[in-house]
Amino acid sequence: MNLIELKQVSKVYGHGVSQVQALKEVNFAAAPGELNLVIGPSGSGKSTFLTIAGGLQTPTSGQVLINGQDPAQLTAQQRDHLRLTRLGFILQAYNLLPYLTVHQQFELVDRVKKDHLTPAALQTLLTELGIDQLQAKYPDQLSGGQNQRVAIARALYANPAIVLADEPTAALDSQRVQGVGQLFKTLAVKHHKAVVLVTHDQRLLAFADHCYQIEDGQMTQLS
Amino acid sequence: MFLAIKEIKHAKVHYGLIIAMVTLIGYLIFMLLGLMLGLANENTAAIDAWSTKTVILSKGANVNLNQSLIKTADLPPLKAGDSLVGQSPVVISRQTGATHKQSAQLIGLRADQPIYQHLELVSGHRPQKPRQVVLAANLRTKGYRLGDRIKLAGQKQSLTVVGFAKDGMLNMTPIVYGNLQLWQAVKGGPQFAASAIFSQRTFQLDTTALKAYPRATYVNKLPGYTAQNKTFAAMIGFLMIISMIIIGVFLYILTMQKLPNYAVLRAQGIPGRTLTVATVSQAAVLMVSGGLLSLLLTRLTMLGLPASMPFQLSWPLAAGLTGALVLLGTVGALIPVKLIQRVQPLDALR
Repeated sequence: MNLIELKQVSKVYGHGVSQVQALKEVNFAAAPGELNLVIGPSGSGKSTFLTIAGGLQTPTSGQVLINGQDPAQLTAQQRDHLRLTRLGFILQAYNLLPYLTVHQQFELVDRVKKDHLTPAALQTLLTELGIDQLQAKYPDQLSGGQNQRVAIARALYANPAIVLADEPTAALDSQRVQGVGQLFKTLAVKHHKAVVLVTHDQRLLAFADHCYQIEDGQMTQLS
Repeated sequence: MFLAIKEIKHAKVHYGLIIAMVTLIGYLIFMLLGLMLGLANENTAAIDAWSTKTVILSKGANVNLNQSLIKTADLPPLKAGDSLVGQSPVVISRQTGATHKQSAQLIGLRADQPIYQHLELVSGHRPQKPRQVVLAANLRTKGYRLGDRIKLAGQKQSLTVVGFAKDGMLNMTPIVYGNLQLWQAVKGGPQFAASAIFSQRTFQLDTTALKAYPRATYVNKLPGYTAQNKTFAAMIGFLMIISMIIIGVFLYILTMQKLPNYAVLRAQGIPGRTLTVATVSQAAVLMVSGGLLSLLLTRLTMLGLPASMPFQLSWPLAAGLTGALVLLGTVGALIPVKLIQRVQPLDALR
């Protein structure tokens, strides 16, 4: 069963002469155990795709199913619950609250969601990401790469079935990119999660099960 | 509360300054309250000490004790709880030791009536002879002592100070307690029975020459009393509203800086209610901290205030005002809450 499905999805912003078609009849599916890579240049519609696939906004036409539910048919509160329980978002910036230590970022998840990783599993995750020694640090005491890895750990700690990441390797060096690519691959395969990475980092291609190119709002599946 | 406390602990300077400002506003409110109550007490201390329920004045006096004179012929039958009070503004001058002049109110009493009998003294005894007087206790700070001899302006004979009375202030002026004959001598003769009757009961009059007023009506008509209280109450009210706006504006500015983070949290499914509760509880923590610190600061200040300063703080009232301050500050937090409610999860990717 696909955890995310986009069927003939189009998204149009604005009206008349200022109208922009951000997505054109996009079809996409992400199943558990698979790592999907969506690649495209800036302004190609990657972010729009991510927001629609993550239930943050609804399409102009077509249908979206997340975990079998159409977000357009849900109330705002139900959509919040869907994102909290089924989706893990990793964004480029502002992922972490500046006044919480790394450890407290996970504590915040504890307070709003019961189903999360065990302390032992969290410790393993932090070790894999190389941030197990940073738990007492605040975000402003970490490098960009460390911040991004904490954001990844924070999203995964909530134990989502679907992981959506926007440029997850933007601030990482090549060695870390390999590590993070491997981590997402492991998550998909071992932990049976549907992983969707939106990026223009070609170094992640090696880890992808399915690769999609998006350009001018049109999505095509690569090999 | 988790987010609120963590943020306050992390940004100590930011929030320390807000707490300092709330503390200073609270301090100003409590100092004004203390002055308001202190001055009010100097207006009514004697009336309260006399357990007054009704004041009977001559009809044409316009609720003014200074203007009231009750003729002996108009005197109604008195019962237990009624006291004749002769009142006259006087200037006293000390005859022993260093010369000193002091404006005061002469209060003439009858020894068989309740005000005289329940007069609470801090030292000495009640006047037992026509030329003996009891002074308000606060005149001791001006050097008056038991055994001092004083003169009333315009009177030839001197008087002996035989006691000091607690709560001896009426309409901001210290009282000189003597007997009714002394007052009649000052007023010019026995044709006047008294200035007023202060009664501890509800008084029914069957004469048109006099008029009975409830305690509250009489007190509110004391010269300057109501205007003074209203002025202080208005200042306190405005300060509380200002504190509400200040806390709202500060939290609004701080919240604006946090909106990108909040958008990401909303995208991650954190309910808007969690963020709203964090902001409102943060305001409550700031207001409670500021309120308690201002109470402490006020208490410390009271230790250093001179005894002559009319300052009196009612702790239950101060606690009530602290509660109102916390409530208003929390209401002020509703300004940034509107901002949080407008944050859309989609903003996280913009």
